Amino acid sequence: MNRRRVLQRRLVAAVLVLLSLGLLTLYFREADNGLVHRVQDGALRVVTPLQEGSARAIEPFRDGWNWIADLFGAKAENERLKKEVEVLRAAVAEELTTQAENDELRALLEMQRGRIYPDDVGFVPARVIARSTTAWYSTVTIDVGRDDGVQQFDAVVNGQGLVGRIESVKASACQVQLITDQQSYVDAMVVPGQAEGLVAGSVTGSVSLQFVAKSEEVKAGQFVVTSGRQGSIFVRGIPIGQVESVGAQEVELYQSITVRPAVDFRKLDIVMVVRR
Amino acid sequence: MNARRASTETATRSLPSGGELARLGALLFAALLLQTTVAPNIRIVGASPDFALIIVVSVALLRGSEVGAVFGFLTGTLVGVALLEPLGMSALVLVVVGYFAGRYAETADLSAPVAPLVGVFAATLLANVLFATLQYLLERQVPFGFWVGRVLLPSLVLNTLLATVFYLFVRFVLGGGRVLRADQEA
Repeated sequence: MNRRRVLQRRLVAAVLVLLSLGLLTLYFREADNGLVHRVQDGALRVVTPLQEGSARAIEPFRDGWNWIADLFGAKAENERLKKEVEVLRAAVAEELTTQAENDELRALLEMQRGRIYPDDVGFVPARVIARSTTAWYSTVTIDVGRDDGVQQFDAVVNGQGLVGRIESVKASACQVQLITDQQSYVDAMVVPGQAEGLVAGSVTGSVSLQFVAKSEEVKAGQFVVTSGRQGSIFVRGIPIGQVESVGAQEVELYQSITVRPAVDFRKLDIVMVVRR
Repeated sequence: MNARRASTETATRSLPSGGELARLGALLFAALLLQTTVAPNIRIVGASPDFALIIVVSVALLRGSEVGAVFGFLTGTLVGVALLEPLGMSALVLVVVGYFAGRYAETADLSAPVAPLVGVFAATLLANVLFATLQYLLERQVPFGFWVGRVLLPSLVLNTLLATVFYLFVRFVLGGGRVLRADQEA
């Protein structure tokens, strides 16, 4: 009797482990319209309204929690902002000296006035209904999907700047890969200036501007926006963040530039999918 | 008398009753909602509490390895669906966690109040190692120091702190624990 029970117990565990491994293998091997993806799609239709309701219910508590967290960081933030204002003032004074620099500032001004998106792009408003809980992934789920015309690789923005891009699309929801994700790369440029590179996320949550040659002059406080160069999935000029620090070691080919994202990802709630 | 009780226990352990299934379903639903909506909004030193894992471990400690493994599989699959994660990843981790937590209950003395804490602590350690291995295979890597300091340690502390409350909650929902150790049945 005991032996039978031991066998049964082990069999149950083995079957479930194999089933999980099978699901995982199928998920990665099949196309986006494969069986496992379709099952996930169908199940998500049931789960999404529940998540939407819960996300709304928890919003006041989340805001309260963030408010408490902000209180602790307010003093340090204030000091940092004061220093940043000084740096920015100095940078703006310098930039006003030549005509070329004036043009660049004009472009920056246009960006701030919101003239970033061409007339032919559309926006789909969405609400964040779930977030990844592990440090390995920086993703959120939003409540719009294929039914709303959203496609894979569409850009996702909010009032502050670039949030990320659509990674996978289901009928009623989709997953957004945030720019802080370790596998996120965005074509970017520094304004004012000519420096171009790739904004990359990391598992630590920090964002860096990579592949900027040492010959390019980049200073703390400058803005980083999407470059929108040919082949890029993002339109030109979406704010990504500000240069926080610039460093270069002799042995390295490129500068190491850290970027403070424009978007506060802790408070992400309403976003826009940019439909092209 | 004792033999009859043992045989009743065995029968119950292989097939949960309708009421028991309903209670397990409610816990599954609670685990899903907590994990997908509450957990992501609580970040302490970069880590979020893993409510799904704590509930799976609590169920396994109270109902044994088979129920623990099945409950872990279902919870992991649903969490994977809701968070649009690769399907099977969380399921695999929670099956292993549920099974071994159940085995712990079937072989160790759970009368000590620290038992749920030990169970959740060990399960969190095991889940994190498994998850890191899977991520490594998927070419998502993380510096070892960061993983220990910002992922493993905070989740060990958070999950262990929450263990007792959730264990008592799950115990209440399931209507108490069962005799799981073979030497205590007869």
